[in-house]
Amino acid sequence: MTGRAERADAAEHSRDSGKALHGRPFLSLLRYNLPYWPRYLGGAMLAMMFVGVGLVVPLVIRGIVRAFETGTMTRQLLALYFLGLLLIAAAEGVARYFQRTLMIGASRHFEFDLRNDYFRHVQRLSQRFFHCNQTGDIMARAVNDLNYARDFIGPGIMGTVDMIRLPATLGMMIYLSGRLTLVALVPLPFISIAVYFFVRYMNRQSKVVQDLFSALTARVQENLAGARVVKAYGIADREMRAFRKACEAYMRENIKLVAVMSFAWPLIGMVIGAAVLTVVWYGGGMVIHGDLTLADLTAFLICMVMLAFPMAQFGWVITLYQRGAVGMNRIAEILCAVPDIRDEPDALQEAAITRGEIQFDHAHFAYNGVAVLHDLCFTIRAGETVAIVGPTGSGKSTVIALIAREYDVSGGRVLIDGFDIRSIPLRTLRRAMGYVPQDPFVFSDSVRENIRLGKPDASDAAIRAACETAQFSADLEEMPAGLDTLLGERGVNLSGGQKQRLTLARAILCDPVILMLDDALSSVDTHTEERILEGLREVMATRTSIIVSHRVSTVRHADRILVLDDGRIVEQGTHDELLALDGLYAHMHRRQLLERALESEA
Amino acid sequence: MSADYHMDDESPRRAYDARLMRRLLGYVRPYRRWLVAATLLLIVVSVISNIAPLLIMWSVDHYINNPDRTGLRAADDAAVSDALAGQVAADMAGLLRIVALLAGFMILEAALRYVQMIIVALVGQRTLMTMRLDIFDHLQRLSLRFLDRNPVGRLMTRVTNDVEKIQETVVSGMVQVVNDLLTIVVVLGFMIAINWRLAVIVVAPVPIVFATSLIFRKYAQRSFLEVRRKIAHLNACLQENISGMRVVQMFRREDANYAEYRRRNADHRNEWLRQIRNFAIYFPVVEFLGMLATALILAYCGWVILATGREVSGTASVGTIFAFVFLAEKFFSPIRALADRYNLLLEAMASSERVFRLLDTPPDIEDKPNPKPCEALRGDVEFREVWFAYEPGQWVLKNISMRIAPGERIAIVGHTGAGKTTLINLLNRFYDVQQGAILLDGVDIRDYPQVALRRKIGMVLQDVFLFSGTIEENIRLGDDAMPMDHVRACARHVNAAAFIEKLPGGYGYHVGERGCNLSTGQRQLLAFARTLAHDPSILVLDEATSSIDTETEALIQDAIAKLMAGRTSIVIAHRLSTVQHADLIIVMHHGEVRESGTHQELLAKGGIYRTLYELQYRDAAGQDAATPE
Repeated sequence: MTGRAERADAAEHSRDSGKALHGRPFLSLLRYNLPYWPRYLGGAMLAMMFVGVGLVVPLVIRGIVRAFETGTMTRQLLALYFLGLLLIAAAEGVARYFQRTLMIGASRHFEFDLRNDYFRHVQRLSQRFFHCNQTGDIMARAVNDLNYARDFIGPGIMGTVDMIRLPATLGMMIYLSGRLTLVALVPLPFISIAVYFFVRYMNRQSKVVQDLFSALTARVQENLAGARVVKAYGIADREMRAFRKACEAYMRENIKLVAVMSFAWPLIGMVIGAAVLTVVWYGGGMVIHGDLTLADLTAFLICMVMLAFPMAQFGWVITLYQRGAVGMNRIAEILCAVPDIRDEPDALQEAAITRGEIQFDHAHFAYNGVAVLHDLCFTIRAGETVAIVGPTGSGKSTVIALIAREYDVSGGRVLIDGFDIRSIPLRTLRRAMGYVPQDPFVFSDSVRENIRLGKPDASDAAIRAACETAQFSADLEEMPAGLDTLLGERGVNLSGGQKQRLTLARAILCDPVILMLDDALSSVDTHTEERILEGLREVMATRTSIIVSHRVSTVRHADRILVLDDGRIVEQGTHDELLALDGLYAHMHRRQLLERALESEA
Repeated sequence: MSADYHMDDESPRRAYDARLMRRLLGYVRPYRRWLVAATLLLIVVSVISNIAPLLIMWSVDHYINNPDRTGLRAADDAAVSDALAGQVAADMAGLLRIVALLAGFMILEAALRYVQMIIVALVGQRTLMTMRLDIFDHLQRLSLRFLDRNPVGRLMTRVTNDVEKIQETVVSGMVQVVNDLLTIVVVLGFMIAINWRLAVIVVAPVPIVFATSLIFRKYAQRSFLEVRRKIAHLNACLQENISGMRVVQMFRREDANYAEYRRRNADHRNEWLRQIRNFAIYFPVVEFLGMLATALILAYCGWVILATGREVSGTASVGTIFAFVFLAEKFFSPIRALADRYNLLLEAMASSERVFRLLDTPPDIEDKPNPKPCEALRGDVEFREVWFAYEPGQWVLKNISMRIAPGERIAIVGHTGAGKTTLINLLNRFYDVQQGAILLDGVDIRDYPQVALRRKIGMVLQDVFLFSGTIEENIRLGDDAMPMDHVRACARHVNAAAFIEKLPGGYGYHVGERGCNLSTGQRQLLAFARTLAHDPSILVLDEATSSIDTETEALIQDAIAKLMAGRTSIVIAHRLSTVQHADLIIVMHHGEVRESGTHQELLAKGGIYRTLYELQYRDAAGQDAATPE
């Protein structure tokens, strides 16, 4: 599936979903924090505690200096102060330990809850959603955006809480000397103005740099994707030149950014240094004139040092907040996507599928505005084996997708055992079905778990029997650990045919009321296919079966064959009847005979 | 393109690899003079930036807390009030001198630091670019065999993120480490210069800090690896569920899979909670040790003052306390930072290992040392007993021999998987043959330079790849010397001009990524114009199978005929008209040449060609007859 229509569709999808939140998904995600409010409260209280205890440090030092100034120092007093300082540090450390475990821990719990809900929600979304949104994008949100959100929730909130040190220390400074505090704050407006301009420039320039980086990335991507053309026309040199240009542009703008940022830090450092110098000079003058004690000046300077850290932290917290907000919005976009296939409120809980009669009642289906099925009317009787054939794009697989309710009809109805399938609970509907899809999907798990996917309590004997029917037994014997063999990423890789046979065994094991094969034997050679069909005949005799195929050999023994072309049924009947008709089916049959003749040509 | 969520799991992590480091340093070597200059600047900066505590000590002990003045004030005598006023004025002047000096140093420090940062940034950016260009260049030389096996996304990460990470740590990180070490040395020097006993007291907790760091690192690193492993598993599980959601839903596995995910998620969280504890202990312990140093300084100075009954600047005084408290802070902060630097180094090492592994992949198709010139080819093509397999042992082409005379038109036909596409992939050395040889004008194609060879072979593939850029750029393909008239003439000759001129902007029309804003037919015509513009000696064409409206189809057929005129042409034919007009039809079957001859000869023979004809061309024949031309 490609095309811009789809991207537009996806965009619309996310817009729709955003509405429910009135553009404040950020807040909606904060509710994930609610259960952990005692942790935050505890963290905040601990922060107040260690900030309060920390404020004693300048006072202790003031006490020491004053004792010397006034000559009242004794060894006992000195020891007391010494122990006092250590005690304060220890108390601060303990408080910090608990604050950190509480608050950062909360963010990990938040992450845990959010991950679970994300997973759960994605499970509820329908195929339409997965067509509009790439796996990579859904993953990126669960990986990067979730990290950003968590970093805000944890270190971000903790950093914010720690910021109470700022007013507390300022209060202490005013207590020590109001006049000196005023003097110390003189450089503050300069810092603010400088920071404002730097931040503005940085934001602008960062955007330029990021865009150039994207351009550079796009260059590499295009070069790799078009490697054949690049080689065929011998234009690697040109590609190299273009890439060098992109790299140089990126470098140039990056250096500009760095040049300004490199200027920002020494400058801000200088302004802060100027504040300290002003205090030394002015405060020192006050001491010389006898307007301030040396002890107070010492305590004051220590307060200023204590201020430096939360001030630096401020910018960091802002960054965390910005990234976190963007991340949360992107996660919320997925969490708010409304599943378009779901149990209706008036679903008939008592609806049961026992016979497996399927009826298409003037069913229409359109995808992205393109009609795929037109006014389809047919009935598949309970226990019947019906085949659907037709050229690529005629809508065969869509018929099956509608029966499985992967999509809803755009018009008309699909009925099973007389119930409109939209009124049957999804679990009931899907329990009744054994579905073998076109592209077999195997999980990286053992063979056993892969086969008993729909029936987790199946015995090994039952599994082996299903494998036998699906002609998978021989493959199973060759597996290193039999049913325990791990498949996929870290295990054995199966061939296309093996996968198809495994997924067939999976469907057979479910013992469904309706068995549906969606071109499920395309990668199996004709000889094996015959044996599979032979074994399946017994299985199909007792249930409604639908076989979609473009191979005539697969469908010739069906009770009835529906020939689909361009979303309409153009012929139907048994194999012999259709051959006699000498229409599309007969034509397909002749072609395939030729193909087989060609294949068998050694 | 999907990211590789298992990657971190695979690469073993070594903290420090001397061989890797040497190679990384190789990239910095051209700039070593600049780095030496930056280091010299750093030395000056660390001296002047740490001198402030000394000067403040001086100003406290000699001016702010001048004992002479405090003595005068204590006397509280009218006679001394003049003396006091004089002393106050002198102290104020002294204080101002020191503050002015400090201000001067501060400005100097800021200026030098700025220059140093700029040098480092320039070197860093240049290194980054060199490395990036090296990787890109290497990617150009790697064969399709390699590129087909490695997902585009993974290769892109090497050129982009990995390089970025290396730059951040290797250049900036190295300078940081140098800065940290210099600061430690300079501060230690100052402390010893003022009072070696106090210096010993400040340094005393350092072994404990180191021990704590080592213990912390041991636990944290183990936890760190565990966390990485667990998050990789968690994400892999999510990704698998998203890709297989259809099966999950059809087989009602939602609850079971959710339970599994939840379990892994809890594992991951619990590992983090352990890791949080590691951090929560480490930071406060280091803080505490810092405070211990401060308290010890106070206690020592206080004890000496009490013992001697007077303050002595530089030994035990309020100023000394001042200086040492600040110096201790400056001494401990780089020590604390070392743990962070170590983590960054780990990541850079992992990135550089990945990058070098890519750079070390040898290109499997290379030019010979002295390739033969490949100009003015006549277009005599010969396949001589060619064998080829993509996977060892699975022969795709078996003993193919054929000869195409200059100017001849050859149509290759065959069923899916017969080896037609492989044949043309070998001709322009996308792959090398395993046995036998392909000769062009009597010379093995492996003796020609690759680029020159491919330029002589014009290839039009089924799936036309267009670059994002203008129509003109897509025809020129980087040949800036090509006159615009030539571009236009070529487009006109292959019937592409009509649609191009109708586009907004004509030849300046911007083609989207992969040509998504052009129709299949238009892309085909554009590809023909591109090929014609580069005037190849040999034309290789894989005809598109997709159905195109009859009007465009007629234009394409006409264009193909024009392209083939006067050139040796090899066409994988899907159109009846192409096979009918071919000088020779080669029928491929299961990797072998089974039949050859003209259309009529082969039809008369009644072999594979006849079957293929009925399968693939007869319907078209009916259509052709119905279409009035």
